[in-house]
Amino acid sequence: MASHGVGETGLSDSGPSNHHLPYAAIHGINTPSTSFFNQEGSSFDFGELEEAVLQGVKIRSDEAKAPLFRPAATLEMFPPWPIRFQQTPRVGSSKSGGESSDSGSAVNTLSSKAEAQLDPESPISKKASSSDHQSFDQKHLQLQQHQQQIEMASDTSRTGGPSELNTSPAKPPQEKRKGSTSEKQLDAKTLRRLAQNREAARKSRLRKKAYVQQLESSRIKLTQLEQDLQRARQQGLFLGGCGGAGGNMSSGAAIFDMEYARWLEDDHRHMSELRTGLQAHLSDGDLRVIVDRYISHYDEIFRLKGVAAKSDVFHLITGMWSTPAERCFLWMGGFRPSELIKMLTSQLDPLTQQQLMGIYSLQHSSQQAEEALSQGLEQLQQSLIDTIATGPVIDGMQQMAVALGKLANLEGFVRQADNLRQQTLHQLRRILTVRQAARCFLVIGEYYGRLRALSSLWASLPRESLMGEENTCQATTDLQMVQPPQNHFSNI
Amino acid sequence: MYQTDSSWGSYLPPRNVGDPLERIEWLASENAVVIFSISTCCMCHAVKRLFCGMGVNPTVHELDEDPRGKEMEKALMRLLGSSSAVPVVFIGGKLVGAMDRVMASHINGTLVPLLKEAGALWL
Repeated sequence: MASHGVGETGLSDSGPSNHHLPYAAIHGINTPSTSFFNQEGSSFDFGELEEAVLQGVKIRSDEAKAPLFRPAATLEMFPPWPIRFQQTPRVGSSKSGGESSDSGSAVNTLSSKAEAQLDPESPISKKASSSDHQSFDQKHLQLQQHQQQIEMASDTSRTGGPSELNTSPAKPPQEKRKGSTSEKQLDAKTLRRLAQNREAARKSRLRKKAYVQQLESSRIKLTQLEQDLQRARQQGLFLGGCGGAGGNMSSGAAIFDMEYARWLEDDHRHMSELRTGLQAHLSDGDLRVIVDRYISHYDEIFRLKGVAAKSDVFHLITGMWSTPAERCFLWMGGFRPSELIKMLTSQLDPLTQQQLMGIYSLQHSSQQAEEALSQGLEQLQQSLIDTIATGPVIDGMQQMAVALGKLANLEGFVRQADNLRQQTLHQLRRILTVRQAARCFLVIGEYYGRLRALSSLWASLPRESLMGEENTCQATTDLQMVQPPQNHFSNI
Repeated sequence: MYQTDSSWGSYLPPRNVGDPLERIEWLASENAVVIFSISTCCMCHAVKRLFCGMGVNPTVHELDEDPRGKEMEKALMRLLGSSSAVPVVFIGGKLVGAMDRVMASHINGTLVPLLKEAGALWL
């Protein structure tokens, strides 16, 4: 298909394009002018005129579907258009890949051309469909003007007759399967090029159509995603993280958020295990298994945070992975161990004297460790400020490189803070009995669960009247969610 | 004989020990709490603050201010098996470790007895 008229550019090179305008365009006169306009033809004039030719061909082919190679369409020897069109048979045959022989009939080869065109690529039908939605007034007018010019030209040249055609500039027979006369080759080249243009126009139209369809489907998908995101945000599923960062989240952050979400689900499961274990009054041995599993569960999140700290420490240290309420109490990318112990001491009664001392010394040492890390971080901040704020701007890139190097230390601090949290939980496990430890971890889990629920509630509360009933229902549901854990807790 | 020879050697410590690790160990044994640090390192600052906050007065060796600091840094990296040489803490001449080990030992309650044993803490 695309090979049509590949080598046949000689005609346009040799002389003004007007040469074959008379021939081709005359077809156009007889054809409906609106259906073959396209805006994408590679050459404006030829694009339309080619189509005019094709349309003429189509009409003729509709009427008389003469097969290829059959010269016997003598009836068609005197078509309504001027005899000038003896050339077009060659055009048609060249278009169809030059399979046709030197058939005398314009119509035969034209129709064969039409068939050839219609079957593989059916540009005409495509043309008709695609051009339906284009405004052609301007081009219509232009074509009509062309047609008038051509008519005049053809009238004057008609007297020249076939002889002129036959003696049109001799072209080297580039069409391999072509006949002998140069005039046939002339048209073959032209028509091949015309076919090329047509092909290009068609492909361009197809591309445009595909692109538009793609855009449409993407738009629909986008609105759906936005709705989902809005809904999820209201329900606080990914809480502050996705909402704030949006498309700016790094892949490390996104991965961690997903893993954290899964961890939260696991946490819920572990909590139920602890709860049922305590209520069922399991043996210490059995309970110990559950408690140790919970400790490993926490070890897992610290491990995940360690991995995430390498790829996106800011995501961790700003707490974008957690909920707004948790973020409020954030210390170095997580909970503050001494605060957690303070919260626990009242809930862990009864404790032995030794245990109490152990808990207090744990609180004390974690406070000291937190203080040390905070001071280290402060020094890092100060050093960063010194690097960025002072110094001439001339050495800007150097400054930035040094600052970046200092920022890398943030990862170390987050890692040490997580290490501190992990050690605190392990020490708690050591100080307490199995039963106490189970209760302790349940308290911790429920505490953070409530903080998360608080964040969801807060997020779903109507801030503008736009939100309306949907959110009040959500808020009520969330409130109901918060109730059961409290009941469970009081039973223990 | 052997006693007098070695005792003389122990009072005049070799100043130009070839092996950096030996130098480290020697420096570590000089005081109750010895911290190897780099003056610009913030984590080193944190560990210094930790001991000061506990009322301990550590001896700090800033490797960037030591002419043989570079090779000592490398030796420490090998010793710890980590990419960061500092901070490293020795208590009573024995290696405690880097920041994470120090904090873990503080949380699990082994750091304070160690300090008391080395004579760095009186309470």
